[in-house]
Amino acid sequence: MRLNSTVSDEETREAARGDRAEIDALIKALYEVISFDEGGEPDWRRMQALFSRHARITRITPEGTDYLDLAGFQELAKETFDLGVYTRFFEIEVLRDERRFGGLAHVLSAYETRHSPAAVEPFARGVNSLQLIRERGEWKVLSLFWDEERDDNPLALKALFDRGETNGKANS
Amino acid sequence: MAKLTRERKNQTVFRVLGEAQQHGLILNRAGSANGPECVIGGRVYRNFGSCSYMALEAHPALRAGAAAALEAYGTQFHFSRAYVESPLYQELENALEAITGRPTLVAASTTLAHLSALPVLVQDDDVVLIDQFAHASLHMATELLKGTIVERVRHNRMDVLEDKIKAHRRSGRTIWYVCDGVYSMLGDFADFAALKELLARYPELHLYIDDAHAVSWAGNHGRGVALTHLGDSERVVVALSLNKAFSGAGGALAVPHVGVRTRIRRCGGTMVFSGPIQPPMLGASLASAKLHLDPGFAALQAELEQRLRVAREAIARHHLPVATTDSTPIVMVQFDSAERARSTVKEMMERGYYCCFSSFPAVPIDRPSLRFTLSRHNDLADVPRFVENLAEVVARRRETSAVAVAAL
Repeated sequence: MRLNSTVSDEETREAARGDRAEIDALIKALYEVISFDEGGEPDWRRMQALFSRHARITRITPEGTDYLDLAGFQELAKETFDLGVYTRFFEIEVLRDERRFGGLAHVLSAYETRHSPAAVEPFARGVNSLQLIRERGEWKVLSLFWDEERDDNPLALKALFDRGETNGKANS
Repeated sequence: MAKLTRERKNQTVFRVLGEAQQHGLILNRAGSANGPECVIGGRVYRNFGSCSYMALEAHPALRAGAAAALEAYGTQFHFSRAYVESPLYQELENALEAITGRPTLVAASTTLAHLSALPVLVQDDDVVLIDQFAHASLHMATELLKGTIVERVRHNRMDVLEDKIKAHRRSGRTIWYVCDGVYSMLGDFADFAALKELLARYPELHLYIDDAHAVSWAGNHGRGVALTHLGDSERVVVALSLNKAFSGAGGALAVPHVGVRTRIRRCGGTMVFSGPIQPPMLGASLASAKLHLDPGFAALQAELEQRLRVAREAIARHHLPVATTDSTPIVMVQFDSAERARSTVKEMMERGYYCCFSSFPAVPIDRPSLRFTLSRHNDLADVPRFVENLAEVVARRRETSAVAVAAL
């Protein structure tokens, strides 16, 4: 049953294409703003623009789970940089699964973290689970939630993404 | 407020070090003395992991010094130093004064020297700026400075340091910059030329430098790099190690005035309340100090220098990805991932070379490394052989890694 008979199929398809492009740009921007080279740091201002003001950030670590808002996440990140936990950080998306319905979208995004874009292999891998919301005509991150690959938590990309709609290698 | 709690930090360190221990790479016990070779887990390795850069621990003069002190004073002289100290302290401090050209105060360790000195030197209203990769013992000591502003500075970023000095000098405060002379985990020097300029430009600036890893092998009579570059400044305090290359025991503070020495001696908590260095090791340190003052000591330094030069040439020839080209006895070869660093160390050990796996929290997560050190213990011909073996392992593993990534 069509909910809105005044919208043509072509208009619906056009809107979907627009959403997909916007979400794609948002995810790409998210990976860009959190990456930084030695001496730098994430682009905090641009990061803020990507998130809803109601956003939550949740990370699972072997030692426990952190439940944060954006300001809390930024504070924690700045502390780790001060402590020298990271001196450079390049995160890229390797695989994505994306579902949309109306003003909500859910993205499962596998990532790799390297010390430089030229590094042959990553020093970390994991999966970001993102809930996106359409606010005032723009897609924003409402929830960013991730866990990392570990010996007891291997990242089997194929098995994980083949169950859903796989968009292939995001950066290829 | 989001904060890394002490509990969380301890849990993470416990887990990460536990993993390294499971791989047999840390918390091992030796089955031999330190020397050109070392025995670990019953196997003999060529030794590229020792911090005894000058290889003096078995020197006849140091053995004789320890034996003579043992004979004269027994195994311990256990008064509190607040009341009575062994006469060997005075002799040792006089000899160290001749080495450093400054009033010198001996402490039971370099860490205990920091714990005494910083709370005495830094006043409540001062500001402390500390390099993020300064030795852990310095960070520990700054935690005693309750009420004092303490800020971390990105490693060796003199531009950031200057910005912070400019920001704080407006309040008329004394500013302390705390750093290492040679950084123990990256193997690089402090930027002494820039620090000299900053000292000249900002009269509020004082420096406290831990030069533990440069003592003995660097500078006239082995006074280290910090005193070599900045020893003429009245606003510089340098902490030294009498362990490591010096092959004795304890630490020392080389201060600009006798008055500073007296203040730390009277008020420094660990000077008053910690146990003393015991006579045999005071005797060894005194003998080592006399050896450093001997005109022949420069020839021993030249022997190590030759090994450093040979190693650096081989490293450049093989394009090993090292953290720094600074010519120090500490070399960090960096890898993309901790797993790659770990497996490389293990393969080097299979080839009969002892070297160290270095990962978070000793170094940043993004800088997993193989750390090797050079000492006079190393046979000169063994140095390029070690580097060649390492380059071979690194190159082969890089190829394997590239194939694995391409297959993803």
